[in-house]
Amino acid sequence: MRERPLRLPASWLPSVKVTMASMVLALLVGALLILVSDRQVIESFRYFFSYPWDAFRHSGEAIGESYKALVSGSVGSWSAITATLERAAPLICAGLAVTLAFRAGLFNIGAQGQLIVGAVCAGYVGFHYELPPVVHVLAALLAALVGGALWGGIIGVLKARTGAHEVITTIMLNYVAAALLTYLLTKESFQQPGSNNPRSEKVDAAATFPSILGVHSGIVLAVLAAVGVWWLLERSTVGFELRAVGANADASRTAGMSVANVYTLAMVVAGLLAGLAGAQQVLGHQDSLTASFGGSIGFDAITVALLGRATPLGTVLAGLLFGALSTGGLAMQAGAASTPLALTQVLQALIVLFVAAPALVKAVFRFRESDGGGAVMAKGWNS
Amino acid sequence: MKKTAQVVALTSVLALSLAACGDRPKENAGAGGSSPSDEAASSSAAPSPTASNPDFKACMVSDSGGFDDKSFNQTSHDGLVNAVKKLGLKTGEVESQSDSEYADNIAALLREDCNAIVTVGFLLGDATEAAAKKNPDVDFAIVDYGYAKPPKNLRGLSFNTAEPSFMAGYLAAGMTKSGVVGTFGGAKIPTVTIFMDGFWEGVQYWNKQKDDSVQVVGWDEKSQSGSFTDDFEDKIAGQDTADNLMSQGADIIFPVAGPAGLGALESAQATNGEVNAIWVDTDGCLSAAEYCDAIISSVMKGMDVAVEKAISDSVGDKFTSDPYVGTLDNGGVQLAPFHEFDGDVPQELKDELDTIKQDLVDGKIKITSPSAP
Amino acid sequence: MQLEIRGLTKRFGTFTANDHIDLTIEPGEIHCLLGENGAGKSTLMNMLYGLLEPDEGEVLLDGKPATFATPGDAIEAGIGMVHQHFMLVPVFTVAENIMLGREQTRGLGVLNRASAATLVRDLSDTYKLAVDPDALVQDLPVGVQQRVEILKALANNAEVLILDEPTAVLTPQEIDELMSIMDSLRKDGTSIVFITHKLREVKAIGDKITVIRRGKVVGTTEPTASESELAEMMVGRGVKLVVDKDDADVGEVALDVKNLTVIGARGTTVVRDVSFDVRAGEILGIAGVQGNGQTELVKALLGLVRPASGRIQLEGRNISRHSPRQSLEEGIGYIPEDRSHDGNVGSFSVRENLVLDLYKHDEYSRGLALNLRAMSANAEQRIDEFDIRTQSMNSSVSALSGGNQQKVVVARELSRSLKVLIASQPTRGVDVGSIEFIHKRIVAERDKGTAVIIVSTELDEIFALSDRIAVMYDGRIVDIVSPNILRDEIGLLMAGGGGTAKKNA
Repeated sequence: MRERPLRLPASWLPSVKVTMASMVLALLVGALLILVSDRQVIESFRYFFSYPWDAFRHSGEAIGESYKALVSGSVGSWSAITATLERAAPLICAGLAVTLAFRAGLFNIGAQGQLIVGAVCAGYVGFHYELPPVVHVLAALLAALVGGALWGGIIGVLKARTGAHEVITTIMLNYVAAALLTYLLTKESFQQPGSNNPRSEKVDAAATFPSILGVHSGIVLAVLAAVGVWWLLERSTVGFELRAVGANADASRTAGMSVANVYTLAMVVAGLLAGLAGAQQVLGHQDSLTASFGGSIGFDAITVALLGRATPLGTVLAGLLFGALSTGGLAMQAGAASTPLALTQVLQALIVLFVAAPALVKAVFRFRESDGGGAVMAKGWNS
Repeated sequence: MKKTAQVVALTSVLALSLAACGDRPKENAGAGGSSPSDEAASSSAAPSPTASNPDFKACMVSDSGGFDDKSFNQTSHDGLVNAVKKLGLKTGEVESQSDSEYADNIAALLREDCNAIVTVGFLLGDATEAAAKKNPDVDFAIVDYGYAKPPKNLRGLSFNTAEPSFMAGYLAAGMTKSGVVGTFGGAKIPTVTIFMDGFWEGVQYWNKQKDDSVQVVGWDEKSQSGSFTDDFEDKIAGQDTADNLMSQGADIIFPVAGPAGLGALESAQATNGEVNAIWVDTDGCLSAAEYCDAIISSVMKGMDVAVEKAISDSVGDKFTSDPYVGTLDNGGVQLAPFHEFDGDVPQELKDELDTIKQDLVDGKIKITSPSAP
Repeated sequence: MQLEIRGLTKRFGTFTANDHIDLTIEPGEIHCLLGENGAGKSTLMNMLYGLLEPDEGEVLLDGKPATFATPGDAIEAGIGMVHQHFMLVPVFTVAENIMLGREQTRGLGVLNRASAATLVRDLSDTYKLAVDPDALVQDLPVGVQQRVEILKALANNAEVLILDEPTAVLTPQEIDELMSIMDSLRKDGTSIVFITHKLREVKAIGDKITVIRRGKVVGTTEPTASESELAEMMVGRGVKLVVDKDDADVGEVALDVKNLTVIGARGTTVVRDVSFDVRAGEILGIAGVQGNGQTELVKALLGLVRPASGRIQLEGRNISRHSPRQSLEEGIGYIPEDRSHDGNVGSFSVRENLVLDLYKHDEYSRGLALNLRAMSANAEQRIDEFDIRTQSMNSSVSALSGGNQQKVVVARELSRSLKVLIASQPTRGVDVGSIEFIHKRIVAERDKGTAVIIVSTELDEIFALSDRIAVMYDGRIVDIVSPNILRDEIGLLMAGGGGTAKKNA
């Protein structure tokens, strides 16, 4: 009955086991795909019975080279590690936005939109004003947080006041945000002077994240954000309400909590985190806004949160994994193996697929039934 | 479980024994183990390169759309393939999926020790310049971008596509039966609207010369407004936009939207000759041969030539940062042959087009497009 | 069909849920399986029904060994089961639900609804179930839905019918109806395994009673055994079935309700012009059949539902516009009728649930930061004080038995000083041992001078606790009477005064 200071959920070990197993399984299926997509391997299987060794050698080489490139391209050198960290940082922040909302029982598909609005605000403050060095980056960062929080807050208020389902409103606001960005990029006040390309002015150097050992400091913010979210969820009264409402809104209401306020607050904080991801992109990763500067970070974030089982630590690890997969994937594509880009995306998808279907993984590896929880996303729709 | 395993094993043995009739091909000498893409792989079967530079690595980053877009990225990529064929190089290539990846993609290629890197598309402009400044030992070239003061190892490759588009506009005005021609773009960006401006001016020139009143729908150079798919990959959007122009009476369509423009070819082809198209970037009859019967001609942007030149200059230590501008004069841009329409285009019109081409080269006709390089 | 269980054992990790259970159920026998929550009754039945695989032992049907890998196998062998939570599709009709999984078709895949409807009508007539085959399940009262489940089993030619806590969700009238249905099934030769923890029901209908405690059969007895004997077998010690309490020491009016009217979610008036008061130190019982406005009344008292009109006064102050939090802060304790729905957050730990409405108090948080040490100290104290059986304070509440879950709610609500305690169905689905404990605590709270309102559909509970009894029918309080009233008289009031307006029949 004594207090254990740092309590992990009782089921953490099995779920780590299932996640690891999912990754192994995905890599195995990926290896098969590498074989099928490699011309030389296919050729050598055509004469398998005359020279079987050829087929094995080529297969081995193809898989070996691809996966070697995956590892060395993601963590093999300092520049690879920095690239991985820079990729991971916005994924972690946006992933936290999904995780936090999810813990409050909200399925935040809107990280993309919140990220865009956050980045637009950060970018505008970054290139439109001239401020002293430290102040400027802080002001731009603050603008991103406020922008994201507002965009997320709209969803929270809609949900709290009218009961509008957040899945629908977030998707719709994603479109609005993307269209808003495209529109702004046609405006002269956003475009670089003397150009009518849809690309914003460059953010003032004073407003960009300072670099630490070749990595922009965004990754530090991402980790701080994760610690903050952990504290908020596990150690604060706000997190207590948030988790309670997420797990059982009726009991929370009966216990005197205001479910409407919790929804609003959760979406404001989620938007703030997604806005931070937007700031990572425009103040760190690149220095101007373009139509698709956000890539698919806001959507990958959903996968990251799912893979991280909606916990801050899990989200950080999943974000790092996705960062590594995407930089490693580039190396696979650029290096001697020339593995198609699609394959890395398939790998990511497979890992998530297996994590989401723990029963399948357990069947393959013959884990016991009690190992690992069900898919964490299963209840997202019922809120 | 066991049973499934047996079935799988049995089927694979069967499949293999059926497939195993083939013979082992001779080992390719000097294949170098790299088969970067279909084109490059097939080239290894072709006669061996005229030169061999196995230590030189030429690399390329695409814009979104990928190297198989039958248009912009593909033509640039052809330049790389041709250079490899002639010079015997190693390659490395990365396809971009979004604007956020450009810097990462260039960095990934730098980690692969590329000697020359070609980036495709103006959106990569800033990232390419930054990388060039940081890596003075690597030569960089960028398609569709010009720098005012580039570093020594960076060459911008731009194209005055307004010139051949002017000819295309004149050609369209001469060929239309309805008196309405249409154009649309993939996005309202200078490298797209320059085509549309040229096309529009060509039609106006026809009207002036012939005292005619052929109309352009989908673009107006003066107000710089018109139809856009806002997507270079969505074929359906291209089809919808083309259908829209056709409903306004256009019987010749000039889609400037990369793969999305293929939708316009689809729409045109479906009319069985009533509506036809003029393709862009590549010779449509070669790159999108299935639509050749609906393509009157194409405005070719010689990105392959420019890319190949940049790479061979880099291999031969002749690389300079002097910008390359493709014009009708240097053959960097041109109007493609008429292919199946060769018989349909009147000789008189062909002659007039030759004159126009000369006038453009000589500067007798001035392009007024604000997007011209 | 004779069903014999020999040495059936099921272990979950180190925990033995069923330990060598032996049981024989004769044809046409109602065999009661009596045990506290968590004693292992449901585990046993889930093994019988093919939902769990036994670790040891065997099942014999008419002397022949049988194994059930899936519920399908069990159904095939003639075993039917009615779960506590019904497995019905609400938007389908009764006939469609019964067809489900064994749809009869007339060529070309057209469903033969008529034959299903006929089957339902025939079975319904035979056993006097009074179920309309064309009614939508969602429109039916709980008791009738349960009969649909029974019909489903009968349609599958069940010879042994397992009823898992069937009376937990029923009104007294519905329980009577169920009993007569069970009786007619028995006469027809169907064996019934009747799982319950309610002694009165066991004595009323059972042919044989097997008591299970902590996964073991402690004995088999006849229904002639006294209730206290049965209770002692179940709990393993002597149990007091009557609550000891002195006469109420009544003080000032604590809660005064005047002309309260509440409109329900569907726009109908569910509480009509209700007026009553509760004084400090007394227990007011609100009796009534489920669904006569009690639920909405107590929700309005807490502030979960805004009353349409009327006044609620707490010690003279109007609180009818208060939010639940304000009401809780003013000193109202609230035990909701559905603990897993409204009382606890199932995935939260015992420790967290014990402060579910207290976490904002200075004791448990400073600013935004929770004081985990204080929460743990509180949990340790409450677990001890309320005898909450849990592995640790960090176990999630959903892992506890129903009785212990309820104790968590009660412990939390009684852990601060109250002016009024509102307890709705405080012992529903709770085992005998816990009922005794909870009743004792409620009386103790009264004796501290708290005004207590108990809402219960169980007359036993109302009589055991109340100092005054208000009877609700159709949203109104039809009368407020003394607990010395006869059971029959109060039954008459609960049915609307004349006993003619039987609900949902």
